Amino acid sequence: MSTPDEPIDQTEADGEMRSETAKTPGHESVTSSVEKYDGRKIVTGEAKYTADYRNQFPELAHGTIVRSEIAHGFVTDIDTSDAEAMEGVYAVLTPWSVEIPETLYSSSGQSYPEPSPWDMRVLRRHVRFVGDPIAAIAAVDRETADRAARALTVEYDERAAVFDTETATDPDAPRLFADDEVENSQTGADYSRNIESAFGGEIGDVDAAFERDDLDCLELELETPYQSHCVPEPHATIAYTDEDGRHTFITATQVPNHTRRQLAHLFDIPIRDIRVKKPRVGAGFGTKQEMVIEPITFALHLASDRPVKLELSRQEEFSAVRSRHPMSLQIRGAVTADGELSAIDLYTRSNAGAYGTHGMTVASNVGTKALPLYPNVPNLRFTGDVVHTNLPMGAAMRGYGAPQGHFAVETLLDEIARHVGVDPLEFRRRHAVREGDLDEASAILKDGTRFARRIRSCGIRECLERGAEAIGWGSVDQPPESHLHRGVGVALCAQGSGVAGKELGAAKLFMNEDGSFSLHVGGVDTGTGNDTMFTQIAAAVLGCSPEDIIVTAADTDVAPFDYGSYASSTTYISGTAVKHAAEDAKDRLRYWGSKLLEEPESALETGDGCVYSEQTGESVTLEEIGYEAAYGHDEREQIMGHGHHSTDESPPPFGAQFVDVTVDENTGEYDINKLVFAADCGVVINPALAEGQVEGGEHMSLEYATSGTLEFEDDGTPETVGFRGYGMPRTTDHPPMETILVETHEPTGPFGAKSIGELPTNGVPPALSNAIRDAVDVRLTELPITADAVFEALD
Amino acid sequence: MTDIHVDCTINGEQRSFDVPRSALLLDVLREHGYTGAKRGCDTGACGFCTVQVDGDPVTSCVTPLAAVDGATIETIEGLGSQDDLHPIQAAFVERSALQCGFCIPGMIMRSKALLESNPEPTEAEVREALADNLCRCTGYKKIVEAVLDAGERMHSSPVATDGGSGTVVTDGDPGTEVSQKPTCKRDRSHQPSSGDHE
Repeated sequence: MSTPDEPIDQTEADGEMRSETAKTPGHESVTSSVEKYDGRKIVTGEAKYTADYRNQFPELAHGTIVRSEIAHGFVTDIDTSDAEAMEGVYAVLTPWSVEIPETLYSSSGQSYPEPSPWDMRVLRRHVRFVGDPIAAIAAVDRETADRAARALTVEYDERAAVFDTETATDPDAPRLFADDEVENSQTGADYSRNIESAFGGEIGDVDAAFERDDLDCLELELETPYQSHCVPEPHATIAYTDEDGRHTFITATQVPNHTRRQLAHLFDIPIRDIRVKKPRVGAGFGTKQEMVIEPITFALHLASDRPVKLELSRQEEFSAVRSRHPMSLQIRGAVTADGELSAIDLYTRSNAGAYGTHGMTVASNVGTKALPLYPNVPNLRFTGDVVHTNLPMGAAMRGYGAPQGHFAVETLLDEIARHVGVDPLEFRRRHAVREGDLDEASAILKDGTRFARRIRSCGIRECLERGAEAIGWGSVDQPPESHLHRGVGVALCAQGSGVAGKELGAAKLFMNEDGSFSLHVGGVDTGTGNDTMFTQIAAAVLGCSPEDIIVTAADTDVAPFDYGSYASSTTYISGTAVKHAAEDAKDRLRYWGSKLLEEPESALETGDGCVYSEQTGESVTLEEIGYEAAYGHDEREQIMGHGHHSTDESPPPFGAQFVDVTVDENTGEYDINKLVFAADCGVVINPALAEGQVEGGEHMSLEYATSGTLEFEDDGTPETVGFRGYGMPRTTDHPPMETILVETHEPTGPFGAKSIGELPTNGVPPALSNAIRDAVDVRLTELPITADAVFEALD
Repeated sequence: MTDIHVDCTINGEQRSFDVPRSALLLDVLREHGYTGAKRGCDTGACGFCTVQVDGDPVTSCVTPLAAVDGATIETIEGLGSQDDLHPIQAAFVERSALQCGFCIPGMIMRSKALLESNPEPTEAEVREALADNLCRCTGYKKIVEAVLDAGERMHSSPVATDGGSGTVVTDGDPGTEVSQKPTCKRDRSHQPSSGDHE
C-alpha cells in the first residue's frame, strides 16, 4: 500500500499501466459505454425495488409512523386504546413499548465507532422537531394504519424552541440535550449551548498574515439553505424473520453492513442473526446512508409477529427525514499586490437541526474538499461550529459539505482575482493545484502527517481550457437590449475518492463451467451504475465480456463486507476490490491454461474469452477451462478469486463548472444560457454513465443555486411538504448542458480511475454568483440566488 | 365502505375488480402485480406512476379506479420485453438515459403518449411534454435525447430495433438480485443511431 504523501514514479506507474493495457485485449471493456447492467429490467418495469416485493409476503403488514406536532417538548402520554381496538390493527408502538429499546444510537451509516453522536432513540419521548417519530402502527393495509394513527391521542409537555444557530448558542437558550441523553466523542461538544461539535485546524500563521501591511484582505459572508435529496424512491423497508430465525431486511439502503451492525447494537442481537439485502434502490444521494426506518420496521415486526413493510411518504421525505445542512460561512483571503495568495481563513457555522447525524463530519468537509484546490497557500485556517436547533436534521447529502465550501472558496477567489486585476480564469490557472503538489489542506483537521496527500493526477488546467472554449470565455456577445447584461463565471471543483483511511471493500468471484463468472461484491449500486462498473473491471482482468460477469451485490449473507456507497468510494474502493478478486482468479486461469496448452504460465494472457499464449498464439477458451477445471480426469478445482481493498489514499477528482448568464438590470431576473462542466475523474470507466453522473450532479447544483430550499412557519412547522412547493428543476427549467470528460491517469485507482459521483454537485452556486458578478458587477452570497436579491444588490 | 365493480382492459387483458369506492388506480395496479408503476408522492406531482388510460398519460396515484371503468389501460409491463424492447425502451437503454430507474416507467409511458400524438416532436416539445415527470438522477439531458431518438426509430421502423437477445431475470429469492446473462456475444456498447440533439 502506498502512503498518501509518498511521491510515485509517474513514468513507472504509467509504464506498468501501458503494459497492462497492451496485454489485456479486454481492457477496452473498461473504457467503453457498456449497456447499463440493469437497464433492460428498468425499462420493462421488472426491476424490483423494496416495495415491489410486497406480493411475496401474503401476511404482510403495512406500517406507518406518527410524528411530533410540536418543535420541542416531552410526550407525556399516548392513548392507544381506540387504535388498538380497530379491526386490522396488528401493533401500536409508543416510546414505552417493550419492543422499543432504551438504547441510544446514531442513525448515521458510518464506520465503527460512528463519529456522529449517539443521541436518538427509535421512538422519542423528548421530541426536538416537528416530525420526530413518537409512535408507529402496523395494520392490514395502509388505510387502516393511517386511520389508527389518527386515532391516537398524544399529550405533550411543550418547551420553548429555538430555530436559528445564533440564538441557540446563547447560554439562556432552550437546551435540546440533557447530559444523559447523548453520548458524543467529537471535539468541542457543549450541550449547555446546543453545540454538537466544534473543530479547527491551521497551517502556517493566519493571524500574522492578516496583520501584514503589504497584503490586501477581502472577506465574504455567505448563507446556504436546506436542500432536500428529493430521492425518487422514498425510504422503504420490509422486515421479517425467516425459517432459520434470521432477522431479514429488504431495504433501500446505501450501507447494508453498517445498518446490520447498528441494528445489532440497537436491538442487542448478534450481527450473525441479521441479514440485510439491498434490492434495486431508487437512488440515495446520502439520505439512505442513514438507518432511517429499519429500526421502527423491525420493532413493528417484533410486535405484530408478521412481515412488515414501511414506506415513507413524500411529505415525510421533505419534512421529517434528512436534508443538506444549512450553513453560515465567513471567508477571508489575503493577497499581495501582484496577486500571490498568502492566506485563507474559513469559518462555518452549520445548523445540525435536531440531531447530530453527520453533523461534524459534513461541516469538516466544507473546508477539506474545497481548500485543496489551492494547496500552496502558505497560511490556511479552517474552523467550525455545529449547532442544534429545533428543525429537521441535516445529514449526508451528495457533496457532503463540499458544495457549501466551494460556494465560499470559489466566490472569494473570484473577488481576489478581480481585485488584483487578473482574469478569474487566468488567476485560477496560476494558483490551482498541480500534479505533484503535496496537499495538506485536506488533512488540516487531522493530527500528524499521515493524511497529507500527494496529488498524483490532475487535469484541472485542461478542464479550464476546454471548458472555457465550450462556454465562449471572453467572447460572449452582449444582448442588444441595454437593460440586459450577459456574463460568464467559472468555479473549480474537487472532491475525494472514498474516506481516506476509513474504507474497506471486498469481493469474491467464482467461475462457472461455461466460462462465465459469478461475482459477489459488497459494493452498493443505488442506481449510479456500480454493478455495471464491476462487470467491466472484472471482465477487463479476466479477458471475457462484461456480460459474462453475473453480479450479486450488497446482501450481507452472500456478498463480502463493504463500507457502503458514500463519499464517492465505490469505483475507487469497491472497484479495486473487484479488480483484486479478478486478478486472483486470473492466476488460476493461467494455471489451467498452462496445463491445457502445455506452455509456461508466464507466457499466458487472458483476452477475447480465452487464455492464449503470447509466444505461440495458441489459445484455449474460458469455457474449455471451466469444464476441465470442474470435471477434469486427474485434477479438479473451483476457479475462484478473492479481493479486498483499503487505503489511506483518497485522490481528488477535479472539475471546472462554467455558467453563462443574462441578467435583467430592471428586475434582477436572470436566465442561465448554458452550463458547461469539464471533469477529470482519471481514466473514465463507462463514459456514458460518467456523463450521467455529471449531468445529474449539475441538476442538483443548479437547484441549490437557483431554487431549492425548505420553508418553516414560526413555530417550526414545515411549509415545504411536496414537490409542488419545492423548486426541483424540471425538463423545462434546465439550460443546455455540455459535459467534457478530461482523461488523466490516477496511478492508485483501478485502471487509473478516480471518483465522479459527487464532484459535479459543487460548482453551479459559485459559478453562477461569479457570472452575475461578471454581468452586472454585484456579488450574491446567499442561496438560492433569487431575482429579488439580484435586484436589491443592483439597487 | 361499499365496493364498486370496475371492468377495464389492462395491456390487452380483460380485468374486473371489486374494490372500495376510494380505491386508487396505482394501488390496484401494484396489488395485482403491475409494480412497474412507482409510488413517488401520492399527489400526482412526480409522474413516477404515469400510465396510459385510453391513450392519455395519467398519474395513477390520484386516479380513482372508478374513473377507469370501461377504459383501456396500458402500463410499462405491456411494452416490449427485455429480449424485444419497444423502440422507446431501446432508446432509453442505448442512450444510457436512466440511472436509478425509479422514474423511468412513468417517463417512458409519458413519452409514448407524446410520440403517439406527435411523432416528430421538437426538443422543446419533448421538454414541455415531460415537464411533469421528475427525474433526480440524469439532469434530463439523456432522457430528452432518448425520446427524440425514439421518435426517429418509430418513424423509420415500426418494429422494435433491438437485436433480440436480452437479460433473463431470475429474482427467485426476494431481495437478492441475480441476473443470468445469455452466453451469446452481443455488442452492447453505446451506439446512438442518430446524431446528437443538443
